[in-house]
Amino acid sequence: MSIKILTVDDSKTIRMIVAKSFKPFDTTVLEADNGVVGLAVASREKPDIILLDYTMPVMDGFEVLARLRSDPNLKSTPVIMLTAEAGRDTVIKIAQLGVRDYLIKPFKAELLVERVGRVVDLKAKSAEGRKNKRFDDPIGILVVDDKPAIAAQVRAGLADTPWKVSSADQPGQAMDLCANGIDLVLTSLTLPNEGAYMFFQNLRGSAQTASIPILGMCVRTATADQTRAQQAGFSGVITKPIDPLELKSKVSRALALETSYRYFQQRDGVLVLIVPKDFHPGVVQEVSSHLDAELINVVDAGGDKMIVDMTAVETASLPVIELVISALQAATKLSLRYAIIGTAATKTQCNSYEETQAWQFAGSFEQALEMLK
Amino acid sequence: MNKAIEQIDRLTRDAVQEVFQSMLSMEINPEAPLPLSPDPDGQIIGSVGFIGEVTGIIYIYAGIGFARVITSRLLGITEAEVESGEMVTDAIGELSNMVVGYVKSRLCNDGLPCTLTIPSVVRGQQLSVEGSAQLTRRLIGFRNCKYHLLAEVLLKTP
Repeated sequence: MSIKILTVDDSKTIRMIVAKSFKPFDTTVLEADNGVVGLAVASREKPDIILLDYTMPVMDGFEVLARLRSDPNLKSTPVIMLTAEAGRDTVIKIAQLGVRDYLIKPFKAELLVERVGRVVDLKAKSAEGRKNKRFDDPIGILVVDDKPAIAAQVRAGLADTPWKVSSADQPGQAMDLCANGIDLVLTSLTLPNEGAYMFFQNLRGSAQTASIPILGMCVRTATADQTRAQQAGFSGVITKPIDPLELKSKVSRALALETSYRYFQQRDGVLVLIVPKDFHPGVVQEVSSHLDAELINVVDAGGDKMIVDMTAVETASLPVIELVISALQAATKLSLRYAIIGTAATKTQCNSYEETQAWQFAGSFEQALEMLK
Repeated sequence: MNKAIEQIDRLTRDAVQEVFQSMLSMEINPEAPLPLSPDPDGQIIGSVGFIGEVTGIIYIYAGIGFARVITSRLLGITEAEVESGEMVTDAIGELSNMVVGYVKSRLCNDGLPCTLTIPSVVRGQQLSVEGSAQLTRRLIGFRNCKYHLLAEVLLKTP
C-alpha cells in the first residue's frame, strides 16, 4: 500500500522538492500550504507521516503540532519538522513537542528520504507503469565484490546475453558507477565493515539510485546473511557458486523483464508453449506468470488451439511434467484443444508417469496441427 | 555594532555558500561586490528580516536568468521546465529564507536571539535598496561562472 506523506509548507518550492524526493518510491505526497489546511488534510487523509514547516503564516508549525497532539485520531502520526532555524532554543522547543525528527534547511533530498525512511517503510516503485525491458535488451549490471573471481563468474554466466557486466571491489566506487546506466546491482553480502548494508542504504537514500534493484550474494549455507538481506529489503539473494540459470531468472524477476516471448509464440493462429532445454525453477515461475494471460489472449482473438513443444527437453523431470500438466489444465478450462510435440525419448519418459501415460505426441508442428483438425 | 556586522557578514557568506552547495549542488564563491550584469528579463530580490537583539534585513539580488538557473537546480528540473514567474519567485523566497535562517540560528546560538520575518520577493528592472542613516550596510558579491549574486546586509544601529 502506498505510503501517504503530508507536506505542510507555505513554500511551493519546498513542497515540490518533497514531492520530487519521494517520486521513486511507492508514496502519495499530499500538500498543504499552511497549518490550517494541513490539519484539515491530516484529519481527512490520515497520512502515515507529516513533514511540517516551522515558520508559516496563518498557523505556525508549533501550533499545528500542538493541535495534532491533542487530536485522538492524529496524535500518534509521526511528524518530522522542517525548519530553516537551527538555533538551540528552537531545537529544544521542537523536541519538547514530541516530533519524531527535525531537518534543518538547507537539506539534501537524500537526507530527507533517509530520515523519512527511518520512520516509515519506503519501497521503491514497482516496475508497473514503466515500459519493461525485454530479456534480450541490453541491461547494465554492476557486480560489487572484493573477490574479482565473482565478477568473472557473472560475466561468464551471462556471456550469451546482451547484458553488460561492470564491477567494483568496494561500495564507494560502486556508488559512482550506479549513477550511470546501471539497471541492477549484485553485491556480496560479506563486504568488510557491513559494506553491503551501508551501500544498500546509500543507494536507497539517493533519488537517482533508489529504484535500482539490488541482489545480495553469499554462499548457500549463510542462511543468516540471506535472512538479513531479505529483511533489509534486498530484491533477492543469489547463492555462490553462481548458477547462470538462477542468476538470469532472478535478474529477470527483479527487473520485471519481458520474458513471455521466450516461452510463448503464435504460429499459424495457434499458441505454442515452448518448454526450454535449460529447465530450472525460474522457468516454472516465468511460464506460470504469463500462462493465463497468453491463453486468454488466444481465446479473445478467436483461437482454440495450443501446442506444447517439448522437443528441446532432454529429461522429462517431474517439474517439467508438472508445468505441462498445469498448462494443459489451464487450456482445458478455456476449452482450448491441445497437442504435444516431443522426441521419442521424451515420449518414453512420459510413459513412465501415470499422469502422462495417455499423452499423444506429435513428431513435428505440422503433425500436431493435423492432430488438432 | 562593528562586531555584529562583521559576524553577520561572515555568516551570510557561509550561508550563501552552504545553501548553494546543499540545495543546488553548486559552488558559489565570494568576490568583490560588483553591480549585477544587465539582464534583459530584469532582476529579482528576495529578502528576510530578523528582529531581536540584532535587527536588520538581508537582501539577495540576482538577475532573472540566474534566478531561473537557481530555480531549476533547486527543483531538480530543466530550465525549460521552469514555467512560471511564480515558480522563480517562490524559489528565490525560499532560498533567501534558508540563507537568513542559517544566519539567525547562529546568531541565536551566540547569544543574540532574534526572530525571522516571512520572506518577500520583488522583481523589476534596476532594483536597488535605499538605506537610512540609522542602518549599517554591507554588500557581498558572489560568482558562479558567468553568474553574479549579491547579498546586502542592512543592520539597524542601536
